[in-house]
Amino acid sequence: MFIMSFFDWNIGFQQSSPYIGLENYIDVLTDPIAKRAIVNTFVYAIVTVPLQMIFGLAVALLINGIKKFGIIFRLGYYLPVITSWVVVALLFRYIFANTGLMNYFLVDVLKIVDGPVSWLSSRWSALASAMLLGIWKGIGWNMIIFLAALQAVPRNLYEAADVDGANRFQKFFYITLPSIKGTITFALVMLAIGAFNTYTPIAILTGGNPMHQTEVVLTWMYFQTFDALNMGYSAALSMIVTAIIMIITVFLFGITRRKKVA
Amino acid sequence: MKRKSIILALFLFLVIAFVGCNNANEKVTIEFWHNYSASDGQITVLETLIAEFEEDNPNIEVNHVFMEWSALKNSVTLGASTGVLPDVLRGDIAFVPQFQSLNVLLAISEFDDYETQAAKVLASANSSNIMGDDYYGLAANTNTKILFYNEDLLEAADVDVPESLDELWAALPVLKSDSVIGMVEPWTGIWNVGPYIWSEGGEVLSPDNTTAEGYINSQIVVDVIQTLADLYQAGELAGPSMDPGATGDTDGWASELYAFELDGPWRAASNTAAGINYGAIPLPEGSEGSISVLGGENFMQFKNSSTEEQVAAWKFIKFMTDEHAQVEMAKVGQMPVNLEALENAEAVTAMPLLPVFQEALLTARARPVIPQWSQVEDIIATKVAEAITGTKTVQVALDEAAAAIDELLGD
Repeated sequence: MFIMSFFDWNIGFQQSSPYIGLENYIDVLTDPIAKRAIVNTFVYAIVTVPLQMIFGLAVALLINGIKKFGIIFRLGYYLPVITSWVVVALLFRYIFANTGLMNYFLVDVLKIVDGPVSWLSSRWSALASAMLLGIWKGIGWNMIIFLAALQAVPRNLYEAADVDGANRFQKFFYITLPSIKGTITFALVMLAIGAFNTYTPIAILTGGNPMHQTEVVLTWMYFQTFDALNMGYSAALSMIVTAIIMIITVFLFGITRRKKVA
Repeated sequence: MKRKSIILALFLFLVIAFVGCNNANEKVTIEFWHNYSASDGQITVLETLIAEFEEDNPNIEVNHVFMEWSALKNSVTLGASTGVLPDVLRGDIAFVPQFQSLNVLLAISEFDDYETQAAKVLASANSSNIMGDDYYGLAANTNTKILFYNEDLLEAADVDVPESLDELWAALPVLKSDSVIGMVEPWTGIWNVGPYIWSEGGEVLSPDNTTAEGYINSQIVVDVIQTLADLYQAGELAGPSMDPGATGDTDGWASELYAFELDGPWRAASNTAAGINYGAIPLPEGSEGSISVLGGENFMQFKNSSTEEQVAAWKFIKFMTDEHAQVEMAKVGQMPVNLEALENAEAVTAMPLLPVFQEALLTARARPVIPQWSQVEDIIATKVAEAITGTKTVQVALDEAAAAIDELLGD
């Protein structure tokens, strides 16, 4: 892929692929749709990753604290994770359609807007719908990861805190969070990588429409690869995305390590 | 010693004879990739046709592989580098220039009897196979778009079936109500807006397909797109690609939301299934006539097949484009390209709209056959959508389209 990104790569049978240096990278970086796709992906990651983690941790804390029906709640929250992306994305498309469930509630039930909102026809509201889907589907995975981490926190730490008269928030911030820091870093890195690999929600909700406003890097890469047959361009875009993910990963692990040293 | 020599000679003769006989009877297996629809019963008909072909040609075995549209395209794209390609493919007419740019297609006009077989099919449909001096395919099925209308909605609004494009546009505001949108146009590529542009005398590219400047941004095209923009912004024309939350065309027909749509033969099948009372006419005339867009599928062959496979594949293509196979396929919704099949009573009975489509096919135009067409059409779809939704003025959007296309064609 790295080598391919420096060539005008012709995938065809017995065709030559001339070396063109950094031209593919320049094409990507000067392409307004590629830039928009990268920005959209960043926004998707910045919004969905922390919210998935916060809701996942909150649910894990709630389930960790209950004695009965824990399995049922775990199953209930995990169900969206094992449900097909395609199926739930189609469901969300119907929910956010102009004549969909969301507009029915807003217009006909709650009567807080005059007419249907075109959720999927503008860049940010369409992305918001996709982000809501991503968050809803990701809570269960975070819950399971954090639940496992919470159950590994030594009970005696909480007992000592009780003796010292610590309240619930103090126990959470001074015992729970530091104890599951490794898990938080792991989840953060995995979710960040996952957010940059998002494809299905956008492909099904909007297909990158309207006018390529809602493209993310993978949907744009797919278009350039299989519709436009711009293999070199796609390779350059994938290398740029790889570099971004590497930088984010190193940065996130770096923060954790520095804090450990401190 | 002499006896031994005779036995040895006899043995060798038998071995050679047996091997020779075996070679003569050895089956050639060809792989056939296609996207015939299983739900319409087309694959069942295909399997029956393959069985008949194999019976007539005992030395040829046909393995058919179904793939949906994009998987078919992606598999050939990947196969260009991996070498995993079929011997015959039946795919969208738009695939021909793109696959030829991958240098994988066989120029099947090199077969001695290509001209004879090509003479049996619609010349307009087969025009999508020519690149340079060679043909890289043979028309398999054809289609074009005609104007479907919901008879009940037109009657309720007291609207007559339009006889011109101007009458069509004028009918849309009359049909508009809380529960009805006059017309739906699912996309903004040339497949969709091309017929309106051509029917008013506009063009997309220059005749030699080298420039868009002065064509896609000409005054005629600007006026056509402005009409669509005015209708869209007044809520009289729906566009699910411009507004992904809008009701899709099939759902919209089924719920009697849309009154008009310019669409292909599949719309008849889905409307019948939904129990819609519909009618259809060729695209109403613009100032330069009624010029719809040519769609359909072609049969293609590949360079990497062996000579035996290429010959067997060509035999199969000839079988599939002869009257019998074409009529059988017409019975399950595939519009024939074979001239005799088009007149066949069984085909006409199976496809009541066949005469309407035939009339539209007389003037329908193919989209430009150039390798960059997929990108050109994406540019047009994006810029026309910007114009129709009012993101940009029509002239600015189409000027940008012309500049972007010319840059692409100049590369």
